[in-house]
Amino acid sequence: MQGNLTALLITSTIVLVVVLIGFLAGRDKSNRSSVEEWSVGGRRFGPLLIWLLIGADLYTAYTFLGLTSTAYSGGSLALFAIPYTIIAFFISFFFLPKLWKFSKDHKITTLADYAKIRFGSKFLSFLIAIVGVLMLIPYIDLQLAGIQDTLTVAGTGFINVKFVVIVSFFLVALYTFFSGIKGPTYTAIIKDILVWVIMLFLVASLPIMHFGSWGSMIDKLVVESPQLLTIPTTGPKGIPWFLTASLVSGLALFMWAHAATGVFTAKSADALRKNAIFLPLYNVVLILVIFLGFVAFHVLPEGSDPRFALLNLIQMSYGGVIQGLSFATIALASLIPCSIMAIGASNLFANNIYRDLINPKVTPAKLTMITRSMVFVVIGLALVFGMVFPSALVSLQLLGVSGMVQIFPAIVFSLYWKNQTKEATIIGLIVGLIVTFTVYATGTTFGIYEGFWGLLANVVVTVALNPFFVKNIKNKANPIIDQLFAKQQQRKIMATKKGA
Amino acid sequence: MNKKFLIYLLTVLPFVIMLVAIPFVNRIHPIIFGLPFLSFWLFLGMIITPICTYIIYRLQKSEGSIE
Repeated sequence: MQGNLTALLITSTIVLVVVLIGFLAGRDKSNRSSVEEWSVGGRRFGPLLIWLLIGADLYTAYTFLGLTSTAYSGGSLALFAIPYTIIAFFISFFFLPKLWKFSKDHKITTLADYAKIRFGSKFLSFLIAIVGVLMLIPYIDLQLAGIQDTLTVAGTGFINVKFVVIVSFFLVALYTFFSGIKGPTYTAIIKDILVWVIMLFLVASLPIMHFGSWGSMIDKLVVESPQLLTIPTTGPKGIPWFLTASLVSGLALFMWAHAATGVFTAKSADALRKNAIFLPLYNVVLILVIFLGFVAFHVLPEGSDPRFALLNLIQMSYGGVIQGLSFATIALASLIPCSIMAIGASNLFANNIYRDLINPKVTPAKLTMITRSMVFVVIGLALVFGMVFPSALVSLQLLGVSGMVQIFPAIVFSLYWKNQTKEATIIGLIVGLIVTFTVYATGTTFGIYEGFWGLLANVVVTVALNPFFVKNIKNKANPIIDQLFAKQQQRKIMATKKGA
Repeated sequence: MNKKFLIYLLTVLPFVIMLVAIPFVNRIHPIIFGLPFLSFWLFLGMIITPICTYIIYRLQKSEGSIE
């Protein structure tokens, strides 16, 4: 089908304006004076900015296109996104403030940095960096596919889609190089306003256009497609999958390098606690977007490609202006998270692979330049992989969450477990990855999310092996660990005093 | 009620609503506020969880265990 010229013009104008704002956000030179300034904004962001930034991070083009397509083809399995994000935000209330405080005390900008200092292990830090970068590039490609699909629907017959995708990603890389984290933060404000306005408008108007009202849509869904409205109790993906997928994805969420980058921009631990309270608000949009997938199920001709469910629904329901605004929203939801993901991946590469292993004596100025330049490498790699080996990426994308969650014991357990050793953690992490990949490759999931098996093995191995290594760290003075656990000990002493 | 116990309870509640309860709420009827029951339940959890988080936040502040 040919695109709509008005829609295409509106989409391109909005995207170009946003790119321009991305550049303006970084016109002050101090934004790129150090890695800490460039990647985490000098840790000066208050609760509102973090909320916008983490929201911009997590609600991506893939969220909207992926959830509607899952709802279209898999019904209520798509609802797993709700418990998943709610659990992620809830647990973040407890561990993010601790992690943030550590990151501020030691001036670090990545999770791998945290592991390096907490465990005194460059190898563990390297493993975490590798997992982070390896899982993030396919994730960037999901965004790439998102914008490509959007432009295909909007621009067929007018533009060379691939060429425009490459240009827009290059522009994003350029403004990220230039403005650092400020770029995606300020542009996220526009994206968030558009997301809220457009998604609420779609949810309010589409049921009325196609069914008369929300109520009659639900009536029709209940009578004609009840299978969409509950989680299947038979088949390969049922309730056990739903529960384990929610839990594992929830634990994994803040392990992603781009989410961690958002966290480290906070100016105080309290800002993160407030953020944990308000982040669930975003989910109002999510739950409604899932219903758009159900609308598409009834409105689109049978046999439509689920991947295009939302885009085709918009295209057949509205004129050029609304189409343009909606496509622009999805395009921004693809480009802005990419920018944050690129910062996360560049940071891991420059700090934890280049500096720690290749050139430990690098000067801060040079390291800053290398971190910034890595943005082009990361986005370039994503473009190349996405265009040259699209099918090889599918597995990595499916495994992304399951792979990322394997660093959870190394990052989060270690905030609470004083005697956790690097040896047990490293072996657990490796076993977890191997189990995840094996379960995935052989398809022996028993109806459970792959990452759950991996995480289970990981935790069991870590806990079981730890006693064998604990003598290496026990009774040895370690100022870093003493500082991390100082407060807990103080409280324990106070509690015993009270008891006595 | 003991503050510690209350915090413990509020920490467990979101997991109960969002995970443990799911097999029992996996149904269409009753339809509440135009949402099939499963969606309504998740919507409810989406409101209750931040409230739990907020109360824990206030309790911890009053305890002085966070600054």
